[in-house]
Amino acid sequence: MSFLQLLFKQAQQRSLSTLLTILSVMLGVTLAVVVMVVNREAERLLVQSDFGYDMLVGPKGSELTLVLNTVYGIGTAQGTIPYAVFEDLSGRQRQFVRWAVPFAVGDSYKGFRIIATTPTFLGVDDTGAKLPEGRAFQYRAGRQLELASGTAFHPRKFQAVIGADVATEANCKIGDDIWLEHGGNADDVHKERWKVVGILKPTGTAIDRACYIPLITSYAIPEHESFLDAAAKLGGKAASTPAASAPAASASSATTQVAASDADDDIDLNAMSPYTIREDGQIALRVPKSKWRVSGIFVRSRGGYQFGMLTWNIRNTPTAMSASPAGVMREFFNTFLKNSAYALLGLAILVSIVAAVSILVSIYNSVAARRREIAILRALGATRYRILSLITVEAALIGAIGGALGLIMGHAVAGVAANIAKDQLGETVGVFNIGSVEVAYIGGVILIAALAGLVPALKAYSTSVADNLVA
Amino acid sequence: MFLQLQEVRKSFVAPEGTVSEILDVPSFSIDKSEHVALIGSSGSGKTTLLHVIAGIVRADSGRVLICTTGTDVIDLTTLSEAQCDRFRGQSIGYVFQTHHLLPGFSALDNVLLGMSFTGRKPDKAWAQHLLGEVGLTSRMHHVPAKLSVGQQQRVAVARALANRPRLVLADEPTGSLDQTNANQVLGLMCRLCKEAETALLIVTHDRAIANSLARVVDLADINRAGGG
Repeated sequence: MSFLQLLFKQAQQRSLSTLLTILSVMLGVTLAVVVMVVNREAERLLVQSDFGYDMLVGPKGSELTLVLNTVYGIGTAQGTIPYAVFEDLSGRQRQFVRWAVPFAVGDSYKGFRIIATTPTFLGVDDTGAKLPEGRAFQYRAGRQLELASGTAFHPRKFQAVIGADVATEANCKIGDDIWLEHGGNADDVHKERWKVVGILKPTGTAIDRACYIPLITSYAIPEHESFLDAAAKLGGKAASTPAASAPAASASSATTQVAASDADDDIDLNAMSPYTIREDGQIALRVPKSKWRVSGIFVRSRGGYQFGMLTWNIRNTPTAMSASPAGVMREFFNTFLKNSAYALLGLAILVSIVAAVSILVSIYNSVAARRREIAILRALGATRYRILSLITVEAALIGAIGGALGLIMGHAVAGVAANIAKDQLGETVGVFNIGSVEVAYIGGVILIAALAGLVPALKAYSTSVADNLVA
Repeated sequence: MFLQLQEVRKSFVAPEGTVSEILDVPSFSIDKSEHVALIGSSGSGKTTLLHVIAGIVRADSGRVLICTTGTDVIDLTTLSEAQCDRFRGQSIGYVFQTHHLLPGFSALDNVLLGMSFTGRKPDKAWAQHLLGEVGLTSRMHHVPAKLSVGQQQRVAVARALANRPRLVLADEPTGSLDQTNANQVLGLMCRLCKEAETALLIVTHDRAIANSLARVVDLADINRAGGG
């Protein structure tokens, strides 16, 4: 009978006790693994440093809100800035800017965000020609958006490109029409229709959960144009403090600000159309550029010095501010999440120690009950060292099995959390990656289990053969 | 001479601190393949003597010489505990008063267990043969709880012979059996030891059982301590 067979038989003999001990270890490890995976992935998700853009420009207000809304689609945008800010970035401040992409948000389609932007976002210029690397939008460092099928939208047509999740979840395909639900309200739909011309490849980010339309078409919506008109009427007040101009302060964007501002002005929304369609099918917009507004601008600076100059210049404008997404999210994580993550990790370690103690108690009790058996093994020729090894390896095996099961369970539970994150944030969470911390932790669990087994093992080691063979 | 004890002494310290000498055996020996019965009253030190011979308990002084291969002789008292354990596993079979089988193991596993600490590969065919010899072929996969007391003790006999020992020590092997089973177990032990040319030392307080063996030694005759 081999060492392992003997070990297995011994454990089998006390199968219920062994199973319960494995269960307690598994639960402890599950909790610890869930905390570790969630902590790791939350940090990876929120504190990613490989953004393809190093700056977000938006209305003055909360940097965190700007980043959360733009990158993860959380919450509502805090207002708009004049399109002139974008023109300034691509004109006067061009020396500091590698590329800049404006965007406007606020409406939705079947729960998916509508993002109005320029073809640069999709990596092409206004003619549809592919932009050279370094000029096109990058959502991650070195990674541009790619089309799974179809083409990029024309900048002056009612066309749309949709994210991968929109295609699958809203069952949307090329040739379909999509529409804009005003401020996310399904009962309030703008009459314009955008034809889907392209579907993006999955990116594992919130980009997958949005629809992209040409920026110009968002100004072609009468309600939007009327807001612009109204905003212009408000004059310097709106221009100087867009975030503070009552509707913008609570609304999400130019789009939603319209609804709020309707009550404040006396413009007849149906009085005129903001655009005409030319013979070639392109939009001829009546709204002058001076009235265009955007929710924000993705910016990639030319480097550290240029980044600093841009930040300084933008902060000195009356309407806009800039934020570094990586810096803002790092600060957010460190301020609000890191300590609670540490507390949870501490709790998980405590649970693991309790599980280790349960191994100790279980095996200690079994050794007490097995003293005669141990004496028999000794009488049959088993050395003290052999007995010590048997008990210690049994404990370590319980730790290893419980640890392995806990690792699987932990990742399964984290997988459920990942699905929720995917649904809400659009971000893919790598729950099935096993980090070095987890490997070290499982190693630690096995070591602690073996140490826990050492106490009863020493008791077994010192078992007197003669005393325990009597009777 | 196969086994020889020379000036073996063993004392125990009682809980109240007094030292009581159990064994003081100037000389005792067993020849190769000899079957010896050691008789003595309860508490006279019979079990302690067996433990000393098996190396389970260390003698305070004296020598326990056992002939190994050929003319080589080893003194158990000079071996380390681990060496002693290994030697016991390889060369000595032990039958206890109660069977002392492991409850979670089948009869076959219990016999295989007797081969597990010899450093040699367990011989399953030999274990099955032994169980056949003690009449338990049909019960070899039963756990002890499913066997009668007599059958359990027969498994213990098979286990004691599993590693082909040169010496079998039996401590009141029939003490917990009825007369029929006692005769059966004793007969089996003697027959199997004879066939394997194994020396046998049986400790008993039953004169009738002792008389069925070739030589009977009264512990009182060889032990100057006179028991506890």
